[in-house]
Amino acid sequence: MKQWIRQHWQLSLTIVVVVLGLIGVGLTRFNAGLYQQTVAQVTQVRAQSQSSTTDEFENKDMTYTQVVTVKVLNKAHRGRIYHIKNTYTRSGAMDQSYRVGSQVFLRIPSDQDSAVTIQGLKRDTALAFVVWLAFALLLLIMRFSGLMAFLSVGLNALLFYAAIQIDLMTNGGHIYLLFGVLAVVFAALTLWLVLGFSRQMVVTFGATVAGTGLAVIISLIVFSVTHERGVTYESMQYVTQVPRPLFLVETILGSLGAVMDESTDIVASLFQLKTERPDIESKQVFKSGIKIGRSIMGPLINVLFLIFMADTFAMTLLYLRNGNNWGYTFTMNMSLGMVQSLISGIGIVLAIPVASWLASRLMPREVLPR
Amino acid sequence: MSTITVLGLVLLGLMTLIGGKTGATAFLSLIFNFGLLFLAVVLISWGFPAMAVTLVIGTIILAFTIFFGEDNEMAARPAYIAALIVMVVLILVIFPVENWIMAQGFSLEDSEDLEGMSLAIGVSFIGVAVAEAILSTLGAIAEAAIAIAAGLSEIIEQHPLITAKRLYIDGISIGKQIIGTTFNTLFFGFFGGFLALFIWFSGLHYSFGSVINNKIFVAEVLMVLFALIGVILVVPVTTWVVTIEHRRQQKHND
Repeated sequence: MKQWIRQHWQLSLTIVVVVLGLIGVGLTRFNAGLYQQTVAQVTQVRAQSQSSTTDEFENKDMTYTQVVTVKVLNKAHRGRIYHIKNTYTRSGAMDQSYRVGSQVFLRIPSDQDSAVTIQGLKRDTALAFVVWLAFALLLLIMRFSGLMAFLSVGLNALLFYAAIQIDLMTNGGHIYLLFGVLAVVFAALTLWLVLGFSRQMVVTFGATVAGTGLAVIISLIVFSVTHERGVTYESMQYVTQVPRPLFLVETILGSLGAVMDESTDIVASLFQLKTERPDIESKQVFKSGIKIGRSIMGPLINVLFLIFMADTFAMTLLYLRNGNNWGYTFTMNMSLGMVQSLISGIGIVLAIPVASWLASRLMPREVLPR
Repeated sequence: MSTITVLGLVLLGLMTLIGGKTGATAFLSLIFNFGLLFLAVVLISWGFPAMAVTLVIGTIILAFTIFFGEDNEMAARPAYIAALIVMVVLILVIFPVENWIMAQGFSLEDSEDLEGMSLAIGVSFIGVAVAEAILSTLGAIAEAAIAIAAGLSEIIEQHPLITAKRLYIDGISIGKQIIGTTFNTLFFGFFGGFLALFIWFSGLHYSFGSVINNKIFVAEVLMVLFALIGVILVVPVTTWVVTIEHRRQQKHND
């Protein structure tokens, strides 16, 4: 009975949270007052003209012009109505059409009306909706135990933000030290939240740090032996600091989660094994660890590989359609993602023996049955 | 030799050393997957519709990842079916969202890289954004599906008479353990790679409002969220598929 009440209470609380969340998503339609930029809502759209274009690489596209009527929602021009011409292509690489009901950011110059331009779509409602969807699914299927994961992601995001501020203050001068320390703190904090402070957590933490560290050392050796041939730092995007350290730090952070994921799995299984068979020898523990790691590593390397590579899709496509050959397109767009995937892969593989060995050494002689 | 070749050889060596035959096969499936990804871009650039290409290539990538990674056929088959179901559901979520949020293609921050390029290439970048989002989540979906199916088939092996309801509870509880750590893999995997962009945002003093409406930022966060949604959905769907297979097996045995 008590159990039933508790479950019932949890379910209703879940539903309340989910419904409140949806209301919150809806409220972002009315948050124009919070913005510093001018926000306006599209009230009417009229198609004006269209023409087909062909570029020097024989790519055929359509260019459309529409007249967008918008009503300003905030600031000094609130309530004013503007008619703005918007030109967009069918492919929509850099531009887009606007629909009635969309909210947009406007740039209103102080002198005259004719030069008002749309600066971009207000995407916060749609983004909030997807966040809500993920959150609602998590709550409905996992109930509140899924929240711990969100908490750790939130704390890590805060740390990440703080580290970026420090990096900017020092102009990227201590980027290795800063993000190296950050990676260690990330690992410690995340594992502490997932496992609590225990021997198991210490072993997992050790395996994560050692696995990632070894991968970095091996990569640096390979880099110096091959003189970094084919590593095109110049193709890195959004770079405002020296690219090489930035790339290495990105790689370390990118693989950290996966290495933690794997070490957690291996170490947890080995501690479980020790609980079930307290008399097991440490040599046997090591062997079991390798066996568990074997089946995890392939899919895990794949996870990161697909994340790193899929990111480059749009740019790769653009290169191909702009008359570049496959080799050059790969070098300029995918080679950095490939190097990142390979270094992460090395880290993921190395964490297996490290985690197994640490577990076999540091496991208490006698684990008391729970 | 180029750095990529040497790093690749080191990885192959380590995977074979530690994983034996399983490791070597896993490395092979990585190479296949790279070939498939590149094929997907090339096919889209030849004018094939992005959605169709994604569906076909996605189906093959899942097959390679799941059947090469897991020896136990009892676990691999339901994992594959579940992963396919989740992929289709995700497409149904991603397609309308991408059309709504319009975070496709490039943004002003890309201007430098786009110099001298023709952007009117006649390929719908919304389709490309959908393809990117789906393909980037497949690894995480496959991994979670395998883990849950393997765990459940282990349970079935030890308790062949287990009820469907009990099996569902077990599936969810395995899922709980997986989701926590998978979140971290996804979070670091996506955001670690975008450190440069975040330094850009902070360095140029973007306001919070501009960041959360920024095309690239939104596109990136969406990918993380879609991957999370995929992994969350995998838990009940895989459990459900395993339960149905198990029930059919039991009937068959009677």
